[in-house]
Amino acid sequence: MKAALYVHVPFCLRRCTYCDFNTYAGLLELRAAYVAALERELAWWAAEQPELEATTLYFGGGTPSLLTPEQVQAVIAAVRRRFALPEGAEVTLEANPGTVTCSSLESLRRGGVNRLSLGVQSADAAELRLLGRIHTWEEVVAAARAARQAGFDNLSLDLIFGLPGQTLSRWEQTLARVLALEPEHLSLYALTLEPGTPLAERVARGELPEPVPDLAAEMYESASRRLLEAGFWQYEISNWARGAASAQLLWDLPPGGRSEGCGPWVSHHNLAYWRMEPWLGVGAGAYSYLPGSRWRNLPHPADYIAALQAGRSCRVDVEPISHTLALGETMMMGLRLAEGVTDARFRARFGAGLETVYGEVLARFAALGLLEWDGRRVRLTARGRLLGNQVFGAFLL
Amino acid sequence: MDPKHIRNFSIIAHIDHGKSTLADRLLEITGTVDAREMSSHSQVLDSMDLEQEKGVTIKASAVQMHWVAADGEEYALNMIDTPGHVDFSYEVSRALAACEAAILVVDATQGIEAQTLANLYLALENDLEIVPVINKIDLATAQVDKVLLEVAELLGVPLDEVIPVSAKLGTNVEAVLQAIVTQAPPPAADVNAPLRAMIFDSHYDSYKGVVAYVRMREGWVSRKTTMLMMATGAKTEPIEVGIFTPEMLPVERLSAGEVGYIATGLKTVREARVGDTITDAHRPAAVPLAGYQPAKPMVFASLYPSEADDYVNLRDALDKLQLNDAALTFEPESSQALQFGFRCGFLGLFHMEIIQERLEREYDQNLIVTAPSVAYQILLRNGEELEIHRPADLPDPTIVEEVREPWMKVQIITPTDYIGAIMEILRRKRANFLLTETLDTRRVLMTFEVPLAEMVIDLHDRIKSATRGYASMDYAFDSYRPDDLVRVDVLVNKEPVDALAIIVHRDKAYARGSLLIRKMKEVIPRQLFEVPIQAVVGGKILARVNVQALRKDVLAKCYGGDVTRKRKLLEKQKAGKKRMKMLGNVIIPQEAFLAMLRLDED
Repeated sequence: MKAALYVHVPFCLRRCTYCDFNTYAGLLELRAAYVAALERELAWWAAEQPELEATTLYFGGGTPSLLTPEQVQAVIAAVRRRFALPEGAEVTLEANPGTVTCSSLESLRRGGVNRLSLGVQSADAAELRLLGRIHTWEEVVAAARAARQAGFDNLSLDLIFGLPGQTLSRWEQTLARVLALEPEHLSLYALTLEPGTPLAERVARGELPEPVPDLAAEMYESASRRLLEAGFWQYEISNWARGAASAQLLWDLPPGGRSEGCGPWVSHHNLAYWRMEPWLGVGAGAYSYLPGSRWRNLPHPADYIAALQAGRSCRVDVEPISHTLALGETMMMGLRLAEGVTDARFRARFGAGLETVYGEVLARFAALGLLEWDGRRVRLTARGRLLGNQVFGAFLL
Repeated sequence: MDPKHIRNFSIIAHIDHGKSTLADRLLEITGTVDAREMSSHSQVLDSMDLEQEKGVTIKASAVQMHWVAADGEEYALNMIDTPGHVDFSYEVSRALAACEAAILVVDATQGIEAQTLANLYLALENDLEIVPVINKIDLATAQVDKVLLEVAELLGVPLDEVIPVSAKLGTNVEAVLQAIVTQAPPPAADVNAPLRAMIFDSHYDSYKGVVAYVRMREGWVSRKTTMLMMATGAKTEPIEVGIFTPEMLPVERLSAGEVGYIATGLKTVREARVGDTITDAHRPAAVPLAGYQPAKPMVFASLYPSEADDYVNLRDALDKLQLNDAALTFEPESSQALQFGFRCGFLGLFHMEIIQERLEREYDQNLIVTAPSVAYQILLRNGEELEIHRPADLPDPTIVEEVREPWMKVQIITPTDYIGAIMEILRRKRANFLLTETLDTRRVLMTFEVPLAEMVIDLHDRIKSATRGYASMDYAFDSYRPDDLVRVDVLVNKEPVDALAIIVHRDKAYARGSLLIRKMKEVIPRQLFEVPIQAVVGGKILARVNVQALRKDVLAKCYGGDVTRKRKLLEKQKAGKKRMKMLGNVIIPQEAFLAMLRLDED
């Protein structure tokens, strides 16, 4: 069985104000033990699932760039050894611009990382402070240059928009600055105020203005237009790539754009999630999905390390994924993609056609102008991309 | 029993002036109910939980007490309890008609209030002997002398005829019993005449059927009598006749002058209505007793189950309530917005509130209650007349000659400080001011005529809050009067929503209509398309607001780790939508149907 392989690195120097991920500040001393635990878990899985082959590898966090290049390299080597990760397969590492140097990036590149995802979030100093980022815009620019020098030809940048008090022009300025760095890939996320985060609490207390959803929609649409002009193709609700694997992946072709010959700069690892293909997550709090069930690992790194040292299972929250649930999730995830869900792929997986299972829902949302359905492929329309939740829910049976 | 030794009386009072406490003390002093029972069960006559909680009596009851008076003779004293709220004024009038005397209780700390007067007038109309009592003389704030004078003046009696008591402590309560025996006339009673018994209340008993509470006027009744209800025509033989002690105690027969019950075996209270006369089918009376009128609901509202699945349960619950409540009417109704429910008729707002609470509490129903409206009389151009119970039924204006609405006479007793505030509130309610009478140096009695439709919105609450609770209010139906009334339809997404239509005076159509749609806009969530909401009169658009289309509702981030969490979020969102009503493509939350209740024009 082929699966995308995810490695969670739950360490941060400081938690950002908007973040509700499974990540911890102040636990850096656990790194060595943690990497050892990762290697143990990989070994355990190799024994458990000898047929498992990794298609992509992704270091996510937290801040994976807080591991030393040697530690990263050790994990990559273990994956290659145990899960037959092909030569040239996509190996992504998320990095905080404040934690990298020219030499660390060179080591990472040499160690096998071939895709770097930098968490930029904003090009505005005040916004970076608001978000509690540990780096400046200047450090972002330096990190991007260093990445190029280190030989990274696949650079992805993350941005957040719809911040409390953010104006459309400030957002456009951030986007322009980021485009000047000429990344291969961009992820633009509308801010979600997650309950319990410092940012959400400041808004709740009235210290910060409530983000305005309609303004966020304008920012999104403005960015979509700008990125199209700049030669980026949108292949997922929040993701754009300077080229795509095939024209079918795309919602819009840039003016004069041709799909052939474009570099495959989409995130192949993330595509596996959206296509509901199997993935194995290792590390504290990582989720996995292999046909029939989903589960999570123990979230706290200390618990995770202890479990693996003791040879105990670190799996918790095992959720059986029934046929019905799988149908709904396939739609909920697949509709995020420009390629949508094809009837052929759906049939191959579930033994019944889209029309049979979802005829009424498809017709209803097509009539509302939120879905495009031609009998072979269903996907969101431009308007639907902003109203995905209204659509996804209807597919959950 | 010799009628000479019978006294039939009621207690009348403004709310909270201590009627039930006095009744309890009388029961205790006469040994009808012992003190131990009393302390565990305060206010014996108020048997329903709701009555005890709201401190008002909903169903009248009747209890026979035995007491040896100053003359050494034993008397049977029948105490007939009356409902304490004006919504039930017909029931009050029948209970009073069953008596020869009434104890008028006035709170020594409050003095005469609006319902004191209303109840007194009802008692005087029934030619009752009034026994005036000043209660709560034990309280530090009691103004005994002042209130004594007030009451004596009101009744035109010497000061010493007004009995000061503390019902709570039992002080001087025996004097009240003695006054009943001395002042109240014994019932006029002809045992040999054909049977005439007046029903002044009833309840439904699952074993005995409808139990009619009766005042025997003439003749007698036993288990052998074949009875005829003169108004409804129902015939039946009693399962049991008896008296309330307060438990039901069967007796051989009930004779003229007495008060008791007849277990009729009838299956609904509609067949033995309050005010009807029972006679002997084999030896019928020539004419029934005067005063019968079937209870006529004047306030209407629709009740819908929150979950469509509960429709049948709601119907069963209403059926059960109706067994005991002849004034409650209901008929099945369907609305595009709320699907299946019932249009219910009530005697008034208070009655409506009681029914709603009983449904929710005793029958565990989750209800959507639409804003109340009133019964309108319509005269068509072709001379035909009809009565409508919901605004949506108002016929096309082109065929309507006249629309009449019920007007009430409202009496308000208020400290003089609040006269201006009250005038202002009533002015906004299209009221006619009739007169102000001075009660004492501080208080006046103001009389108005007000359309019931204006009253049902919030008149009582407004008066209470504007006068910090110092004003008291009473009202009675006056007449139906024509006015320039129009129906304001609310169109949601171009479709009229029947449950949202209102009937208002033409002068107020614009103000009410635009207020209503603004309220609607606040509660209707943004949808996938723009939803216009319009207020329309006779096809002409008065006002319009738009609920803008939803632009953005999407999870920005969704990767492997999020699938379960995000799916659950969507499932929750979906479940939330299920609790709202679909109107065509538009989702409307239930609050929208109550927007009319909050039409605050200030």
